[in-house]
Amino acid sequence: MLAASGVQTTEDKENARSRELEQLLLQAGKGSRDAFGQLYTRTRGAVYALTLSLLHNAQEAQDTAQDTFVKVWESAPGYRPQGSPMAWLLTIARNLARSRLRQSGRLVGLDEEDWNAIPAADPDVTPEDRQVLQEALARLGEEERQIILLHAVSGLKHREIADLLELPVSTVLSKYHRGLKKLKSLMKGEDHT
Amino acid sequence: MTDRELERCLSEAVNRTAPDDLEAILSRCGAQNGSVMEMKERKANQNIIDAAVKEGTSKKKLRPWLAAACAALVLLGVGGGGLMYHQSYAVASVVSLDVNPSIELTVNRGGRVISCNALNEEAAAVLFSMSGGKDLKGTKLDVAVNAIVGALVQAGYMDSISSAILISVEDNDQERAARLQQELVASVDGVLRTQAPGTSVLSQVLTQDANTPALENMTFNSGISAGKAALVRKVMEMNGTIATDSTTAFDKLAALSVEELNDLLEMGETRIPIGKSAAALAAEEYAGTLELNSVTTDVDPELDEFPPHYEVEVKTTWGEFEYMVDAFTGQVLSGQRDLQNTTGPGTQSTPATIITETQAFDAAAEHCGAQYPGLQGYNAMNVVTKLDWDDGRQVYDVDFVISGYQFEYEIDAYTGAVLKWDTDYRSTPTPAAPDSPPSGTGSDTQDVGQDAAKQAALNHAGLTESQVTNWKIEREWDDGRLEYDVEFWCGTTEYDYTIDGHSCSILKHEWDHHSSGHHGGSGTGTSSQDIGADAAKAAALAHAGVSESQTTKMEVERDWDDGRLEYEVEFDVGRTEYEYTIDGVTGSILEYEQDVD
Repeated sequence: MLAASGVQTTEDKENARSRELEQLLLQAGKGSRDAFGQLYTRTRGAVYALTLSLLHNAQEAQDTAQDTFVKVWESAPGYRPQGSPMAWLLTIARNLARSRLRQSGRLVGLDEEDWNAIPAADPDVTPEDRQVLQEALARLGEEERQIILLHAVSGLKHREIADLLELPVSTVLSKYHRGLKKLKSLMKGEDHT
Repeated sequence: MTDRELERCLSEAVNRTAPDDLEAILSRCGAQNGSVMEMKERKANQNIIDAAVKEGTSKKKLRPWLAAACAALVLLGVGGGGLMYHQSYAVASVVSLDVNPSIELTVNRGGRVISCNALNEEAAAVLFSMSGGKDLKGTKLDVAVNAIVGALVQAGYMDSISSAILISVEDNDQERAARLQQELVASVDGVLRTQAPGTSVLSQVLTQDANTPALENMTFNSGISAGKAALVRKVMEMNGTIATDSTTAFDKLAALSVEELNDLLEMGETRIPIGKSAAALAAEEYAGTLELNSVTTDVDPELDEFPPHYEVEVKTTWGEFEYMVDAFTGQVLSGQRDLQNTTGPGTQSTPATIITETQAFDAAAEHCGAQYPGLQGYNAMNVVTKLDWDDGRQVYDVDFVISGYQFEYEIDAYTGAVLKWDTDYRSTPTPAAPDSPPSGTGSDTQDVGQDAAKQAALNHAGLTESQVTNWKIEREWDDGRLEYDVEFWCGTTEYDYTIDGHSCSILKHEWDHHSSGHHGGSGTGTSSQDIGADAAKAAALAHAGVSESQTTKMEVERDWDDGRLEYEVEFDVGRTEYEYTIDGVTGSILEYEQDVD
């Protein structure tokens, strides 16, 4: 019962968050730069996580995230509420990232060593952040990484992640649990050294 | 850690790592134009739309609107539509990239590329894969510049460690120009650090100068950018040809690469070098390979070395040969003459087929066993065998480790003969020790001695003993020849000589000027701030908690790494090896390793 009520609470929170994002998006569509700024602050992490996990390169991920928000601004007037503004926004990011991969002749992201391209200069990025990201980015499988990042950062539901990544829900669920387990053991292994 | 805690940790890490670009994004967001992004037809359980598809359809819808806006612009001249047009298509800055290829980009106020043009034939070849630069139109400047730099690297223009790229920004708004310059340098430097380490990024902001029209005319005729023209102008001011407004001097200098021009400025060299093409021609003429179409050359300018020269690698179908060509006279200073008659196919009575890698290793192992009977019975580990060319001869480089000691052999790929060998194993070998003359050689020749070798190096460098520091002299045998390896420093310049131990002639020399400026260093690192080898050694000993008397095999080496003066300190205490990297200015420990043998 406790667990069930916990899930209910989380879902309520997610629904409230979605409604807020939806309002911000609608206001941005009417030309409110303030609303757009708030929307950006709340979603930039998720957009960046997705572009980074698709492109494997901090600079390209940053550029694509920028392009995504410009496109969001341009498209906001035509946005119609459909329940998941985050999924709408991330689809734009996904398509721009895929388009960038196509343009550069790459089908997948860069080699593993390029994952070290997490910005080093930012004083807000702690060594712990670097470790957890490094593990998540470099050690997990491609789809495991995308699923876990999307779930953790964007709060998308497994079904929405399945839609976004064009994967069966069962695959998303199994890869999510397997990836999380792997990440935990990697983190533990690091702690022991 | 629970799943939720781990997810929260990941989420926070990403949010802190994600760049905050709101201002940059808002600067790209115009007023809402009412364009409609339609929802994709919903499938069951699907709440997503496909932006790529929408992009295609919305463009079609946009075109008539754009056409109308342009038409209005033509009719009205100015107005709202005109302002938008101005923002997108008016040139705010001109950015040029010069290596030898010269490429010019015009950029709008939003930092997007309006046009990208090749200014010479080499640049046209580089931009070929980008539809002559058209593909870069509309992209962000840093993206375009990185694409061009990537193409320059791929085309081999940044292969040499001393290669240099010049970035010039021309803009009436000096603040914007400086900002662009800073951003581009950081971005290009980042690309080159991974793709072409060691190369340099030069940059400048150009100002509108009333005195430059003549130069601009010259630029137009020479097919170089305004940025490179400005660099040429600096050289002309330095060598005095600017006073005579010499078109000939301008043309000659304009044909040089950025690396050559920069070297001339750094060295204060007033003469004009012959250029890479002439150097390649001189080397090929000397090598007698001019009539062979299959022969290619690689030229590396070494104008900051003494004597200033071009290093030319002549690549034939039967091997690669190196030449040193005087940078000003075109005289060939070293290299093999008339290759076809001395080294060409059929000139050597070698067997028709080369030996296998295993046979090459066996030859090396047999030699090693004979030289060092004490190592017999041990297995060779980490064996690496590579087929290579050395002075026109096909050879195998065979490297391996026996009982922890590294051995390096060069084996004739046809005969299996041992041509060169080297090892860090120092036990007394039989019958011939590497630190004594091999039997039959050198017994009747005299050792010139350490002092004579040192003096020969100093004479060649044009220095006196009092001017130099950090001496390191090693006496060694290489392929049966006694040699002295002499290293020393003068200020921030490192000299490395190999002197023949019998004749005192100079077999090899390198001259490396260490500058701290290339990668945004603080400008420190002058010899006056150098803590010295003793202080570096003391810092390492203090950290290890031992006194020097307890140590063996103490080695201290002064080095420059990425513009920073460092000392590498190594020593053994019993069976424990210590390795330290000490900051040469502050004495702080940058790295250390401790290894029990």
